[in-house]
Amino acid sequence: MPKERNQKFKPLILLGSVLLIWIIVPPFFKKFTENFFYEFQAPAWIVGSFVRDVQKFWTGRLESKRDLIEEGRDLARLNATLQYQVQELEAYKAQIDRLEALFNLPSLPTYQVEIGRIARRDTNGWWQEIVVRKGKNFGIPEGAPVVFGGGVVGKVREVKQTTTIIDLITSPNIRLAAVFEGDKRPVLYQGTISGPFVSPKGNVEKVPTDIQISRDHPRRLVTSGLGGVFPPGLTIGWVRRLDASSDGLFQSGVVELSNDLNALREVAILKSLESDG
Amino acid sequence: MKIVEIFQNYNTRLRVVTYLLLVILMVLTSGLIYRQLIKFSEYSERGDRQTLRRIIIPGPRGNIYDRDGRLLVGNRVRYSAVVFLNELRPDFRKEFRLLRDHYNSLPQDQSPGNGDIQIEARLNVVERYIDQVGQVIGRNLEINSKDIERHFGQQLLLPFPLINDMEPEEYALLLEQIPVQSPIQIYTTNARYYPYGTLAAHTIGYVGNTQEVDTTNMPGDDLMTFKARGYEGKTGLEKRFDSQLKGESGVEIWVVDPSGFQFEPKDKKSPVQGKDLRITLDSELQDIAEMGLGDRVGAVVALDTKRGDLLVMVSKPDYDLNDLSPFIPTRIAKDINDRGAWMNRALQGLYSPGSTFKVITAMAGLRGGFINGTSETYCSGSFNIGSSLYRCWNPIGHGDVNLHEAIRMSCNVFFYKFSQDIGVDLISAEAKRFHLHEPTGIELPFEATKMIVPSREWKKENRNQSWFPGNTAHLAIGQGFLRVTPLQMACFTAAFSRKETQFKPTVVFDPYRQTVTSRRDIGLPDGDYQRILDGMEAAATDGTAKMIKVPGVRIAAKTGTAQVQTPEGMTQLAWAICFAPIEDPEIAIAVLVQGQRPDDALGGGTTSVPIAQPVLQRFFEKMGHVAAR
Repeated sequence: MPKERNQKFKPLILLGSVLLIWIIVPPFFKKFTENFFYEFQAPAWIVGSFVRDVQKFWTGRLESKRDLIEEGRDLARLNATLQYQVQELEAYKAQIDRLEALFNLPSLPTYQVEIGRIARRDTNGWWQEIVVRKGKNFGIPEGAPVVFGGGVVGKVREVKQTTTIIDLITSPNIRLAAVFEGDKRPVLYQGTISGPFVSPKGNVEKVPTDIQISRDHPRRLVTSGLGGVFPPGLTIGWVRRLDASSDGLFQSGVVELSNDLNALREVAILKSLESDG
Repeated sequence: MKIVEIFQNYNTRLRVVTYLLLVILMVLTSGLIYRQLIKFSEYSERGDRQTLRRIIIPGPRGNIYDRDGRLLVGNRVRYSAVVFLNELRPDFRKEFRLLRDHYNSLPQDQSPGNGDIQIEARLNVVERYIDQVGQVIGRNLEINSKDIERHFGQQLLLPFPLINDMEPEEYALLLEQIPVQSPIQIYTTNARYYPYGTLAAHTIGYVGNTQEVDTTNMPGDDLMTFKARGYEGKTGLEKRFDSQLKGESGVEIWVVDPSGFQFEPKDKKSPVQGKDLRITLDSELQDIAEMGLGDRVGAVVALDTKRGDLLVMVSKPDYDLNDLSPFIPTRIAKDINDRGAWMNRALQGLYSPGSTFKVITAMAGLRGGFINGTSETYCSGSFNIGSSLYRCWNPIGHGDVNLHEAIRMSCNVFFYKFSQDIGVDLISAEAKRFHLHEPTGIELPFEATKMIVPSREWKKENRNQSWFPGNTAHLAIGQGFLRVTPLQMACFTAAFSRKETQFKPTVVFDPYRQTVTSRRDIGLPDGDYQRILDGMEAAATDGTAKMIKVPGVRIAAKTGTAQVQTPEGMTQLAWAICFAPIEDPEIAIAVLVQGQRPDDALGGGTTSVPIAQPVLQRFFEKMGHVAAR
């Protein structure tokens, strides 16, 4: 009888022993285990991501020729427009270079863009992050800004060997020095947890009281470029209402972020060329 | 039954022990009941007092606007990087252990005590965070161990500032580069902000730090309380309307652990901004008057004669109010002190009014029947009273002078002569009729109270001397013992313009305020009043105040020059008073400029009138009476 009773408690004793060992092992061992486990998992996510890409490719192959021709035509038009904008940008760049030289101004920070495809997306009540299929193997630095066509995506939190974890702009861990378009004074943007099926949102705080916003006249919140991480002028989101704080010093409001954040396939990681030396 | 039988079978000793145990159990039970039920509320309250702390956060002060709604005083944001020391406790412990291990390896006599190690540990930890902040913003920041210990001992629950008053760019850098989870927090407080810097500095006044916060109707009155510093008005409007401007304090109640560190918030009420104040000053006219006075020492006061509004109040030298916010640096205080700029000369400066007082002497003469339309005297440039010679400002004299000419050309001899007939009693009574012997009662603190309208009694009481005829001659031309403030002279001018004897100025703007009256009629026959008025208009047209002209506006003016004894020697005071338009007065102005050296050549007509002229000009442009230049 006593032997049988001991048998019943064996799993509990084992679990307790494992927990006890885990508590007393040195921190570097824990970190090593965590990284090992992550790197072990990462290939599975990457493979999954590639499978989805292949799936999409074959879905595309099944499209009719007529659809493809129409898509191709649309793309050609878009391409022509973009070509024109590239030329415009070149002209602006030349003008900026000329003014910098004329006024002896320091050069604007320049970035190298690293496009990364998204391997995994965690947007739930605990995490607001994405994992990209590029890591140390592409020289991605920690803390780098991440953007897409619609504006800011987030900031690189952790770089693994072949993957990069990015805190989304909806993460409460993301805090930015933003400005309202047309205003120079920095305001505070901070993410708030957004679920997977709701429009992503953030908060804007410390807004000067003289900034006027109404539902009919929303204002765009953009990066200020003052914080040293994000280049200026990138869209963060739109603000349609501000509420005054009781102390009369500031206003605060909700920032409506781009819905495309929930459906991103690729992002651009900006690697500062200055930090590279 | 069975239990009773068993008990009865016990031997005596066992029964005694059982009874004893029962008694002890009863005592314990009753003690438990006493403490848990009867004394529960008392202990609970005592426990709360030990475990709850209250933090009072003063509310921002209300804004001050001028009559046109321009912001004169607001609140600016102060960006600070702070740490809450309770969040650094694990770091303190770790650092303490490291230091202790290090010192334990040293000889006994080189090892400091635990208290010193704790202090060093706290300094090291806070230094690490301050270095982190300095690295991000590119500044070399330093911290004092004493500051940390003082904060640790007295204000543990309040944030410890690593850096105050950061630039917005520095604030932005920290926002993005300091992780959200870091114990370093970007904190915002407020300080008074003055968009116009020196404009109306004395009238507006400044604020100072205070920990005296009204905690009435706040929860946790019996708890140990930490108060963040607030502001209270020290001078000017900030002081006078302190209760209105002062914000409503907020409160946070925290549960703390036995060491006094924050554990969890229990209650919170946000601070509320104080009420706004709209004042009668016209910042545009104020600016013009300040520019007119420039770097000279003096004062300008302009009043709306209909509504009683104070439109302009300038006192120079002045100071930039932004330099005094959020606190007054010693260097700034010394500089203001050295320049004598603390004093509001318009309100507190006591000066001889010089020849502007001749209007009062003239009224005393007309009222007493000693001067009339035909009164005339000959001015040769001087006048003898007894064996003393009293000079006119014009050494070659004005020739034959009547009242009109005496006011127009500000002839001293005319007033010397008739003052001997009028006598000190009537002149003194006339000045008191216009309330020159008492404060105006404007809603500003520290108005001078020791103004002097001399009389026989005053001289006897204060100088223990009799009154001499020469004293009357000096009084008649606004010199000698007579002392008034520029504000009083502006009020006198406004009252005279309204044919009244009192003018109550106000600084609180009321858009619905109609014409006010003191109901104290001047009591002069129209003819007599008109004689003085004609003389003042002539002064403004082609007399001593002719530089006052504003095309299309009839102006009455009087200039004055007086001498004052200063440590540097005898210096001059240049005065001008005026009001306009004569037919329906709307504005009255008094200007005083004080010479700084004996060789400063000042004159009412040449120094003070040109300061009043652009104020008048702009006033009537704004009123639409004259075309803007």
